[in-house]
Amino acid sequence: MMEKQRVSRYGVRAVLARSLVHVMLGCALMLCIPFGHADAQAGGSAARQAVAIVVNPHTAVTDISFAELRRIFLGQQQFWPDRSKITLLVRAPVAPERAVVLDLIYRMDEDQFRQYWIGKMFRAEVAGGPKIVYSSDMAINLVDNVPGSITFVLASAVTPNSKVLRIDGKLPSDPGYPLK
Amino acid sequence: MRKPLAAAVVSMFLASVPRARAQDTTSVQPVLPPMPVVRAMLFGDATYVATDRKIPSGFQLGQMVGHVIVSFNDRLNYFGEFSATAQSTGYAFEVERSILRYDFSDAVKLSVGRYHTPIGYWNTAFHHGTWLQTTVSRPEMIKFGSQLIPTHFVGAFAEGNLPVDELGLQYMAGVGNGRGSVISRAGDAGDVNGNRAWTLALSARPSALFGMQIGADYYRDRVSEASGPSATEGISSAYVAWQRERPEFIAEYAMIDHTPIAGGATTRSHAGYVQLAYRLTGDARQFKPYVRVERTTIGRGDVIFAPLSLGYDGGIAGLRYDFTSFAALKAEYRRERFETYDWSNGAYVQASFTVPNLGGGDHNPAQP
Repeated sequence: MMEKQRVSRYGVRAVLARSLVHVMLGCALMLCIPFGHADAQAGGSAARQAVAIVVNPHTAVTDISFAELRRIFLGQQQFWPDRSKITLLVRAPVAPERAVVLDLIYRMDEDQFRQYWIGKMFRAEVAGGPKIVYSSDMAINLVDNVPGSITFVLASAVTPNSKVLRIDGKLPSDPGYPLK
Repeated sequence: MRKPLAAAVVSMFLASVPRARAQDTTSVQPVLPPMPVVRAMLFGDATYVATDRKIPSGFQLGQMVGHVIVSFNDRLNYFGEFSATAQSTGYAFEVERSILRYDFSDAVKLSVGRYHTPIGYWNTAFHHGTWLQTTVSRPEMIKFGSQLIPTHFVGAFAEGNLPVDELGLQYMAGVGNGRGSVISRAGDAGDVNGNRAWTLALSARPSALFGMQIGADYYRDRVSEASGPSATEGISSAYVAWQRERPEFIAEYAMIDHTPIAGGATTRSHAGYVQLAYRLTGDARQFKPYVRVERTTIGRGDVIFAPLSLGYDGGIAGLRYDFTSFAALKAEYRRERFETYDWSNGAYVQASFTVPNLGGGDHNPAQP
């Protein structure tokens, strides 16, 4: 009986050792692949400037909480209180306002941000991700013309006709504004 | 009577006219419905398996999974998930999900079709996207073709947000066919026993704990096997998931009760797992080590589960390496014991990927 147990134990050890070798080979394979990541952190070195949240002028909202803003940007809230559909416009990398939004609203890096939206679409929680804009001018023009849209730009890029939302009662120029 | 018919025919004709030509018409300005927007994604994986279990080892092509989203307008959408799974005799094609949903508001979204049953977390968080999940494989309790948990559900759902902003409450309530005569399958072609299954799931994403999701759900059905006993089935489950990666934590538990229709005591089975992972920082941030332990115990004398020997104990430890934004290598050691077998050891190395946009739609999630 003792002999059988010993043999069995040796057998388990052998299999264990073989498995560990396979895992180590897998890890070695991983380490052979260059570290380089294609995607740099968006605007990571840019100085922090206030980011304004701009909505379509016909949107019946002037002040929202930071929690609600986060739900909108995360796609957890897809309709305004009047049941009109929200269209989210997000600046493409690399832009300092995008870095602020990813850091403060999403709390994600670029890879996590991409994976988040791919997962959200795959789970059928949203039909599509944010629409991409490539400049502040494009963001302002689109948000003025697309009903229910919301976007973000540097406060310095806001035009006189833009409808800027207060966040927790604060505008970008106010002390304690959460997006700077 | 003829006028409405003629108007309908004209409308159909106008709708079939390309938009550019319609815009050239100055005297008639028909309002054409927008064309549906189609988006598509692809997931795939290949795994090298070395194990002392009596199962095929070597290189295995996993599932190729296609996901399509069709937006008919800003409220009506179709979601489809289709898989091709390598088998010894060829490829098995499966419609994993096929959902037509109308979004009335954030509070009310109605849909019909084939779903992944909202029991626990994993089944509706990762679906068949191997790249999305940290580990090589799913937990045993909700593996593909699981007999323990009905992973698929054919029916209709109402879902939405509940107006408790700070808690981020969501509900999902559904009625459907329940399990088929083969209990690992949903009743795709109809309810096998005329007794509808129903399920109710509640979850919360508290704004104060950004990244956390907690949930609980209940599922009720009558199970009627093709050549076996019938029983009422009640599944209660709960989960906690923290998906911020530093750390990543998922714990899920399910309790399955069976009461024989022919009479007899109710039996209770339990299944659960805890998974912990951590995304490293700095130059090593592409690496994410992980561990998971899991257990399934079957109630003694369970008329449905006991003959299937579903008891299980297992643990895994592995390392994930995201060498690009859309592909990952995972190496995993697994030690496990199935109810009627001794402990076994295995090593798995998997490459998985996603193609987030196959050229369709107006949006590229690869670069939002």
